[in-house]
Amino acid sequence: MNNDHISNQIRRLRFDHGEMTQQQLADTVGVTRQTIIAIEAGKYAPSLPLAFRIARAFNASVESVFQYQNGEMPSDAVKPASQGP
Amino acid sequence: MNRTQKCAWFTLGISSLLILFLAFVLRSMFVPGDRMAGVGLVMSWLWLILLFMVGSLFLVFYRQSQAEPAADERDRLIKRNAVLASFIGVWILLAMETVLPRRLAGDAGSIPVAALPIINTAILFTAMLVYSVAVLVQYGRGVENEQ
Repeated sequence: MNNDHISNQIRRLRFDHGEMTQQQLADTVGVTRQTIIAIEAGKYAPSLPLAFRIARAFNASVESVFQYQNGEMPSDAVKPASQGP
Repeated sequence: MNRTQKCAWFTLGISSLLILFLAFVLRSMFVPGDRMAGVGLVMSWLWLILLFMVGSLFLVFYRQSQAEPAADERDRLIKRNAVLASFIGVWILLAMETVLPRRLAGDAGSIPVAALPIINTAILFTAMLVYSVAVLVQYGRGVENEQ
């Protein structure tokens, strides 16, 4: 069974950046709002280029936006991203 | 709801209607005394084809919001999975089409020649239906409407 999880801090970063909306972030990185919602909710793991674009939108490193976890998740993290859409 | 989802809902509706219609036609071919009137059959076909064409034209000329891309990487992944699901569905249905008539009619049995294109058309629309359902299920999974 695959225990790899990718959590993210997108929601927190959006609010730290002037309460940026999901639509604004989507327009900035060139995806649909639905994709941002899915990534934020941990339902979709973005590709590496998209992860870099999201990190760049927040002037942050990829590691500070996305956290790779193998096994147990910390309780304060966002739900894990699955590999499916 | 984006363009892919709207297309999927449209395809789901049309393909369901057409499969129902084809099932009705097949039933009229195999059940004695249950034949549809010739004019009624043709008119039903024409209405369904007209509906399909009008809907397709709407989807071709429908413009999505300029702010969003038509499809991003997640949309492409969803479509790819849906195509795979419908492809598998076609193979399963073709296998059933090969085996079931022999099982039902026996080795010496026969079915009307006209039934074959109808069955194949039904398989085609079933593949479209599977594609639509796969798209909608994948979009429905994990997308909450939040801001």
